[in-house]
Amino acid sequence: MTIDRTIARPDHAKRNVFEHLAHRLSLRQLIFAIVLAFFLIGILFPFYWMVSSSFKSYAEIGGREPVYIPGALRLDAYQELFDPAHESFQRFAKNMLNTLIISLPTALIAVILAIMGAYAVTRMRFRGREAMLNSILLVYLFPGILLIIPLFAMLAQIGARLGFEVRDNLTVLMFTYLAQTLPVALYMLANYFRTIPYEIEQAGLIDGCTRLSVIWRITIPLAIPALVSVFIYTFMIAWNEYLYAFVFLNDRSMFTMPIAINTIYNDPQPRPHVVMAASTIMTLPVIVLFLSLERYLTEGLAAGGVKG
Amino acid sequence: MSVAAKEAKPPRRSRWHSLEAQEVRRAWLLILPTALIVFGVVLFPAIFSIWISFHKVGLKELGNVFEAEFVGLDNYRAVINDFAFKFQGLQSWGAAVTSIVYSLVSTFVTIVFGLIAALALNRPFRARGLTRAIFLFPYVAPIVSVAFVWRWILDPRPSGVVNDILMRLGLIDLPQAYLAERGLALAIVIMFTAWRYFPFAMLMILARLQAIDRTLYEAADVDGAGEWGKFRHITIPELRYVVGAIFLLRLIWTFNKFDDIWLLTGGGFGTNVLPVLTYQFSFKMNDFGKGSANAMILLLILIVFLVIYIGVVMRRADED
Repeated sequence: MTIDRTIARPDHAKRNVFEHLAHRLSLRQLIFAIVLAFFLIGILFPFYWMVSSSFKSYAEIGGREPVYIPGALRLDAYQELFDPAHESFQRFAKNMLNTLIISLPTALIAVILAIMGAYAVTRMRFRGREAMLNSILLVYLFPGILLIIPLFAMLAQIGARLGFEVRDNLTVLMFTYLAQTLPVALYMLANYFRTIPYEIEQAGLIDGCTRLSVIWRITIPLAIPALVSVFIYTFMIAWNEYLYAFVFLNDRSMFTMPIAINTIYNDPQPRPHVVMAASTIMTLPVIVLFLSLERYLTEGLAAGGVKG
Repeated sequence: MSVAAKEAKPPRRSRWHSLEAQEVRRAWLLILPTALIVFGVVLFPAIFSIWISFHKVGLKELGNVFEAEFVGLDNYRAVINDFAFKFQGLQSWGAAVTSIVYSLVSTFVTIVFGLIAALALNRPFRARGLTRAIFLFPYVAPIVSVAFVWRWILDPRPSGVVNDILMRLGLIDLPQAYLAERGLALAIVIMFTAWRYFPFAMLMILARLQAIDRTLYEAADVDGAGEWGKFRHITIPELRYVVGAIFLLRLIWTFNKFDDIWLLTGGGFGTNVLPVLTYQFSFKMNDFGKGSANAMILLLILIVFLVIYIGVVMRRADED
């Protein structure tokens, strides 16, 4: 009996696999599989190429043929990136720090201001509310490159009066990032606040809470998922920003990561593995953040139509 | 003090102190910081940009802009007659035409990719959530990283992946510089844009697909409709509005985009678009007046397009 079973089993399994395949290989399923594979390869290969290139040695990266799988997980490129001996790369740790210094406050301030603004827009009635909301959304329409010239001229003027330097000033840069992220943040939060029943807050108001304590004790705790996703989004926008940093920053020690990577790429002696190592360092936190909070973020993205 | 004035005072004071008025003041107070930053850093500069475009502003005048010389339409004339701007036949499109072609075609391709991806992800299969997250990678990853990875993949040396694969397949004999060839470079930039931004279209379409009333499909099944018929007569009409909105948003953003083309080609080889040209006028040639004029022309083209789109396309959709 037991022997019978063991013999019968492979046969049974084989038939199952065959049936399974025949069932799977309907035309629709085949097209579906091809489409999925096309997208997955097209998306994942560049990311694989970035990470794998960062682990290659100089010989592997500069050879006559591309090396598809690095011989070992070599950290040469990463060492070079932080090596003080390399003039053009040595401040990458500083560049990472600059990016953090600018994106964390941008995200934090954007969330705080957006909570206030979104609350006013969704919960309070005042004349000019719609006009205000619409003109803030107008920012969506303006090209960043159009604003950068007048901004530069304007800030140079103010800077000369008040005695601060516009170039290489991370605080000035942060204000331009705030202007780019606030409309998105406001819009996403306002959309979320509309889904919270106002009755809960009204109960608080009737109990004698002030507006601020209602916001602090009721609205904010209820909106935590939206706040997290707004924070992450504004953080990502500031982390990834290229154009404004490119124009406003001149000094290598003030560069944010995107500008530093650009400089390494344009180094007279091409070192793709170092560029890829820097890119990996810059991409990894974003992808990890995104994957760990994917559900909230995707909802927020679909609801807010984040500019990009 | 007259009696009338004494009498007029109390109601005004009570209006200032009325609950409603307090509420309005609080609302303004809450939105004020956002409004100040957005107006100060966006709307005011936008208006100031118009002023700059009519003045001669170079590096010298930058420290004291308001004393710059008024030059009327000179900047605009200089832009329109610039060889980098104007259309000079099929060999040299100029930035204006390249911009329009680039944004229209890449928005179209972006939406097609997004639609296919959304339809694929709309059916249940194992690991769908993870697949959807992976599909969003190009959109959330930093532009600098992905642009340089693609340049490295398209590298003109034999060590470039595309060169290696095409040479092994025997399709080319010698390594090619893909991003340094007119026409091909523009096509690659368009494909890159579609690769990077299709997830945005995908998400919006997916959200709409999942909101379509199931009973519509069930009714079609009862009527004996095929898959294609259901797609043609239910899915497409249901998606029309969201696709229209995505088209508009993506077109505006693509038209305004600087980073993607700047990082891939630097605006060379027939890929120079208006935002990149604005940068070159302003920060390479230090002619801020000309740069502003170029940016204003960019905005003008955009507004003309919006008016046409909203007036014609959206109205026709409403009438249907």
